[in-house]
Parts: sequence; C-alpha cells; structure tokens
Amino acid sequence: MTDTVTTPRPVDGGAPAGWGAGRRRTKAARDEEFTAFVESAATRLRRSAYLMCRDWHLAQDLTQQTFAKMYASWDRIRTGTNPEGYSRRVLMNLVFDQQRRRSGSEVVLADLPDRPDGAAAGTPELRLALVDALATLSVEDRAVLVLRHAEDHSVDTVATILGVSGSVVKMRTARALARLRSLLGEDFVDG
Amino acid sequence: MDADLRQHFDRAVTDDPGADPGEIALAAIAEGGRIRRRRRQLAGAGVAAGVVALLAVVGGVSLRSEPTGPAGPPMTVAAAMMPVAAPSCSEKPVESDASDVAIFLGTEATDPQRSAVGAALRGDPRVAELQFESREQAWERFRALWADSPDFVEAVSPSQLPESYRLRMVDPSQYRGFVTAYAAMDGVEQIVGRVCPVSAPIGGVQ
Repeated sequence: MTDTVTTPRPVDGGAPAGWGAGRRRTKAARDEEFTAFVESAATRLRRSAYLMCRDWHLAQDLTQQTFAKMYASWDRIRTGTNPEGYSRRVLMNLVFDQQRRRSGSEVVLADLPDRPDGAAAGTPELRLALVDALATLSVEDRAVLVLRHAEDHSVDTVATILGVSGSVVKMRTARALARLRSLLGEDFVDG
Repeated sequence: MDADLRQHFDRAVTDDPGADPGEIALAAIAEGGRIRRRRRQLAGAGVAAGVVALLAVVGGVSLRSEPTGPAGPPMTVAAAMMPVAAPSCSEKPVESDASDVAIFLGTEATDPQRSAVGAALRGDPRVAELQFESREQAWERFRALWADSPDFVEAVSPSQLPESYRLRMVDPSQYRGFVTAYAAMDGVEQIVGRVCPVSAPIGGVQ
C-alpha cells in the first residue's frame, strides 16, 4: 500500500529531475543485476531449501523470502560479499528460525517406512527415504550435509556460510553421514 | 564416494515441480523494495530490529558486510565438541558476568601462541584459578562422551580437537573486558563464558 508510485513534484530547475533520472537508472541497473543473480541461483537454492524442509511449497516460500531480503540489501551485498554464499546463509537462518518457531508444536516425524528389500538406488522409495532420513537429523547437521554434499561446497565455504569452524563442519558431516548410513543401509554411502 | 553421495542428493530432488526464476526475481524485487522502504521509514526506530538482527547475523559473523548492529550469537566450537556444560552451570554461554570461562585455541595455534595466552592468563589478576586441557585430554573426554557412536569417534582425530584454558573469574563483572582482551590474541578461536556455582568444575565445562 505504500507501494504506489509517487509522481515527482514539479520543482524549479533541472537538477532534481536529473537526480531522479539518475536514481531510476541506478534502480534499473540494480534490478537487472539482481535478476541475473536470481536466475543463476534460484534453482539450486530452492532445491537445497527442499532438502532442508521436505516440502516444495515451503521451499519456494523460503527461496522467495531469501531473495527478497537480499534485494532489500542488494547494494551492500553486491560489493564485497559473495552473493551465492550470502544467499545460503540467509536461507539457513530462515530455516533455523522456522525450526525454532515450530519446535513447540512440531509433529514428531512419522516412523521411517521399512526399507524395501533390494530397492535399487534411485527408485522412488530410496529417493523419499533420503529426504525422510535427512529430516531426522538435527537442523544443523542437515544444513552441513546439504551444503557440503548436495551443493558440493568445500569444508571452508560451508564453515564460512554457517559461521562455524572447519572442524565443526567435518564433525557434523561425519556424524550426519553415520546416521544416514544407519538409517538407509551401508550401500547408501558406499554404493 | 562424494560423487555417489552427490548423485543421491540429485535424485532426491528429481520431483522438483519447477519455478520460474524470472518470476521469483520480480516478486523479490517487489517485496525487497517494500522492506527497503519500511526500513527507511523506521530507520533508527527499534521496530526494524528484526530485519537488522538478521542482517547482523548474516553479515557479522563471517561475511562482514554489515557494519552496524551486534554480531549474531556465534556458534561455538564448544557447542559441537563439548556440548555439555557442567550441569550446575548455565547451559547457554553468557555475554557478560560469566564466572567461569573456557578459552579454546584454534587447531592451528602455535606453541608460542599457546604460551603467550597461558602467560597472560597466569599474570592476569582477574583470573582466580586456571587449568589447561591438552589435545590428548580433550580427545579422552571426547571419546568417553561419544562412546555410543564409535563411527563418529572414528571420524575425528585428536588433531581436530581444540586445546583450552579453563578458568574462574575473580569478579564476574569483569568478564566483558576480559573477553575483549583475550579474543584479540593470536591463536584464540573461541571464548565461552558461563555462570557457575563454586562447586562446578573450573571453566564450567565437564
């Protein structure tokens, strides 16, 4: 509602008009640059959000919120930071917040379905099983695993994104993988 | 193994219903623009704290892009390595008035750095009692703590565990200044303060 375009009040002299045009140009350039960033980052970010929350609608929502927050600070973000890493950090913070807000009322996850015998990797059963198994990890461990192994970021990058040390990343990875292996079977990691 | 793992994750998102990045960008520009305007209107008012706090967390800890606002609560090495505060101490680390402190050294800390921190602490009148936990001691404790997860223990080597100084403050009200001084020393990775009774182990961690 505060969104309506206000027509500039007529002012004497050309300076304010020139200033306004400059501002518009800046906004056009900013929007173009921002849109290019979104186009390069959106799909991966949304998929990571899905791996974090198991829900495509929520993933879409989290992605949208992430980009909105980034746009609001884009002038600052584009200089001196890595927008890709920044977007991961905003996303994970949103996920962590959400988890905190919900933790009181969160329904305990249903028991994992029994793993069908002989299910080949990539069958729908195993695909769902991975997402379900991820959901049983702590949100911090899940974040490490998603950034490290779904997105292929280095230990150092993950550490920077999450604001923890490299050894914390390694430990959480090891703990999370051990847990996945115990839920999904040895061949999950080795196969 | 990483490549296989990556494939598993790729397969897990194959039912992606898809979304148009152009639309996402447009919506973000609209909503982000609203956030900007609201922030400008509320500049200086505490109502913007929510947004500012998020940005501080985002920018303050590692990406260093937000010059204003307090840094978010750091996630600590201690939180993952040694999640157990001594039971009688405050579970969460405190920012001020800590009675007990653990100073974790980085795993890359050198001998001279360790000695310098130790010497400073021994000569510091704010420190009532001081102990040092070596990497080997940390490893023993870590193994005992995670005895039920041999896989995890296996995955961690002693070199990944931090050495630490544990100490009790003479006067908890001096904690803030104390942290500031030691956080600046080379080799120090993390300082965790807790409020503990006298009966607690020195440093407030088990």
